[in-house]
Amino acid sequence: MVVPLYLQREGFMPRKVDDFGDGGAFPEIHIAQYPLDMGKNRSAKPGLKILPVSVDAHGNVAYDAIVRQDENSNKIVYSQHKDIIPKILKNEEGEDDMDEDEELQKEIEQTTQETKAALEKVVKVRLSAAQPKNVPQHNSESKYIKYKPSQQSAAFNSGANERIIRMVEMPVDPLEPPKFKHKRVPRASGSPPVPVMHSPPRPVTVKDQQDWKILPCISNWKNPKGYTIPLDKRLATDGRGLQDVQINDNFAKLSEALYVAEQKAREAVAMRSKVQKEMMMKEKERKEQELRALAQKARSLRTGTAVAPPPSSMATPMDDMDTGGDYDTVRERQNDAPPKESREDREGRLKRDKVRDEWRRKRERERRLEAKDAAMGKKSKIARDRDRDISEKIALGGADVGNGKGGGEVMYDQRLFNQEKGLDSGFATDDQCQEPVGPNNSSCWERFNRGSYTTTLTRPLKRKPLTRA
Amino acid sequence: MEYKGIKSIAEIPKQGNARGQEPAAPSNALALPGPESSRDQEKGVSQNALVVGPSLQSRGKNEGGVPGKSTAVIPASSSSSSRNFSTSAIIERIPSRWPRPEWHAPWKNYRVISGHLGWVRSIAFDPSNTWFCTGSADRTIKIWDVASGRLKYTLTGHIEQIRGLAVSQRHTYMFSAGDDKQVKCWDLEQNKVIRSYHGHLSGVYCLALHPTIDLLLTGGRDSVCRVWDIRTKMQAFALAGHDNTVCSVFTRPTDPQVVTGSHDSTIKFWDLRYGKTMTTLTHHKKSVRALARHPTEHSFASASAENIKKFSLPRGEFLHNMLSQQKTIINAMAINEDGVMVTGGDNGSLWFWDWKSGHNFQQAQTIVQPGSLDSEAAIYAASFDLTGSRLITCEADKTIKMWKQDENATPETHPVNFKPPKDIRRF
Repeated sequence: MVVPLYLQREGFMPRKVDDFGDGGAFPEIHIAQYPLDMGKNRSAKPGLKILPVSVDAHGNVAYDAIVRQDENSNKIVYSQHKDIIPKILKNEEGEDDMDEDEELQKEIEQTTQETKAALEKVVKVRLSAAQPKNVPQHNSESKYIKYKPSQQSAAFNSGANERIIRMVEMPVDPLEPPKFKHKRVPRASGSPPVPVMHSPPRPVTVKDQQDWKILPCISNWKNPKGYTIPLDKRLATDGRGLQDVQINDNFAKLSEALYVAEQKAREAVAMRSKVQKEMMMKEKERKEQELRALAQKARSLRTGTAVAPPPSSMATPMDDMDTGGDYDTVRERQNDAPPKESREDREGRLKRDKVRDEWRRKRERERRLEAKDAAMGKKSKIARDRDRDISEKIALGGADVGNGKGGGEVMYDQRLFNQEKGLDSGFATDDQCQEPVGPNNSSCWERFNRGSYTTTLTRPLKRKPLTRA
Repeated sequence: MEYKGIKSIAEIPKQGNARGQEPAAPSNALALPGPESSRDQEKGVSQNALVVGPSLQSRGKNEGGVPGKSTAVIPASSSSSSRNFSTSAIIERIPSRWPRPEWHAPWKNYRVISGHLGWVRSIAFDPSNTWFCTGSADRTIKIWDVASGRLKYTLTGHIEQIRGLAVSQRHTYMFSAGDDKQVKCWDLEQNKVIRSYHGHLSGVYCLALHPTIDLLLTGGRDSVCRVWDIRTKMQAFALAGHDNTVCSVFTRPTDPQVVTGSHDSTIKFWDLRYGKTMTTLTHHKKSVRALARHPTEHSFASASAENIKKFSLPRGEFLHNMLSQQKTIINAMAINEDGVMVTGGDNGSLWFWDWKSGHNFQQAQTIVQPGSLDSEAAIYAASFDLTGSRLITCEADKTIKMWKQDENATPETHPVNFKPPKDIRRF
């Protein structure tokens, strides 16, 4: 075959090896060319083919030839638009019925016979496989095999280079039924795909997608890989957001009722205490009046009659120096009131006055002496203890602790007690020290001691750290 | 106009082509009854064809185009001179050729039978129509009297829910299949299990008996329909090809002898001689949970969650959709000899259809028995008795409900409000 010359190759299609002559591919001809059969994909399956475009009986291009290949050629495949269009099937009830029935019966019978025959064949094969008639003879002669392992040394096989192995067939019970009911059958390749005769599924609307959204399952008990999952994801499947939590009105009613009851109780208590106080005052007044009346009576008796025992209600001069003066004045006033005073009264009075004067002088003497001592630097024990600072007292060990924590002379800083933090608190976790330090508060300690001593110290500063859930 | 039953789709006259038009004309011929009829009137030829449904509009002798689009193209040819053109109507109104539905009396619930302790999942009738049996999620099969509704027997033996039941017409056997992979053959004279068919790898969801040969067909979650020889308990075939659970099966005396519907939304026809698929119908979008064969015509209906479709039988051509959508998962379907089809859904809706036209004439809702939740209203199985006058539904509120037609209803009291479908687009 003569290869056309250059520029004269219009319409020339080199397909066979001879078309190339002794040259190579033609660059100006734009088809796949395999000169000397080079470059052809020969490893492809021999069954692979390109279907040519075919035309059916009426001259229409058969686009469904690709679907009717291979196995589908003897099957009914629907691929046309007319297979989707709705149609109505109308049966005619006419004279043809009897014939049709007979035909139908014949057809049924024929089908039945054929199917039965086919099925019986299949079933027979299976049944006979299950019940073997011919027992396969197994020869009980043993075979000997000389085996030379690849690893040979003194360690393996106790130094021997080869082994002799005896193979015998295991005896099989010929009448034993098959042990396994399930046979593994390789899956037959499925039939070739068939055109889909419906419109593609409608796209899912956003609302549908959200309705059907399923949250991933996070167990409340197990976490085998130890993932750290944020709290909102852990609670997502609880359904907490789905329900509206409605708080019953009764809660509000309860708290209001409690508030009202508390108010009422307070009022009642206040009223009661007021009333009680008033009563007590009245009692006191009454008692005092009685006493006064008694005293009056006694005095009047004493002054009125000669024989009258001195009432022991006369206060002794030993008690209550400070109010002695008062008592004197009261007594003076009372002395003014009765016109006469008996002799015993006057004597008693003078005696008492004398005793009082003595005591007064004694006291003054003491004070003068003390003052003299203090000017010199000598202090008495009592004076010294009174003037000591509390820290000196603690240092000397003479401070009164009271009942342990707080109270008494010594008051302990409450922050020292009941500390769970210990070293865990780290350094400078004190929130109070986080205020900016300014001209007025130069140190925590000063700020701390600014206010009233008791309020800051005795308020327990218990701050528990956040525990991990 | 006489229309004969179809023999094959290839016989549709290519009248469009006779005028030398484009290859898309055969579909036009199907879609347009109007111009064809007018043509026929002129020619006086009786058509031997499928009648096409909707009155899609007259584009007739024009340049083809897309079927189903109503355009304002008015045929200019003289053959349409018999028609009037009104200036106000751009679209010609031709009466729809869709068959008018027959009037059926509405159905009412007249008896509720409670006795099961779990969902009632399956039902089968005795060929003598005196009793029926129901299988339930409480692992028992109960046999009830049809006339009185009283319990006759309770059979135990399954370990899990019983999903399929069938009573043989030629022997005194009953067959049951359940989620526990067991398929049992019960002898009804002794009320005992006499045979077990071993081989399913997962739960068995549907069961059917062959009408003429002693064969049992079961389909289940292992996506395979197994064909068992009843007597020898051997599995003759495993009809493999589905990708997902086989949930419905029925059988016929002639080819295709087995039709299965599956959760992969396909319906397959099987050739029992070789155990191979004959056809695969992919018209549904969701799983085909129920199949029902018409007792006399050569057609069947398949139900899935989006649509109920009718197909013709020897070749499986798609006929049409039912005219309304129940919009729920349909679990059960049954057909009467009077042409009443009933479908039961997962939400308790029980819709009654006229078979011929696809018109839905009644939408009933089951009422749960007191004590059940309102959501426990699914219908899992439905079956007409052998006369077709009583319907029995098996439900999720553990009751069995019996329905019959209302005797006092007349076409005047319950008129049919039927509107022929204008534009069929629901592929």
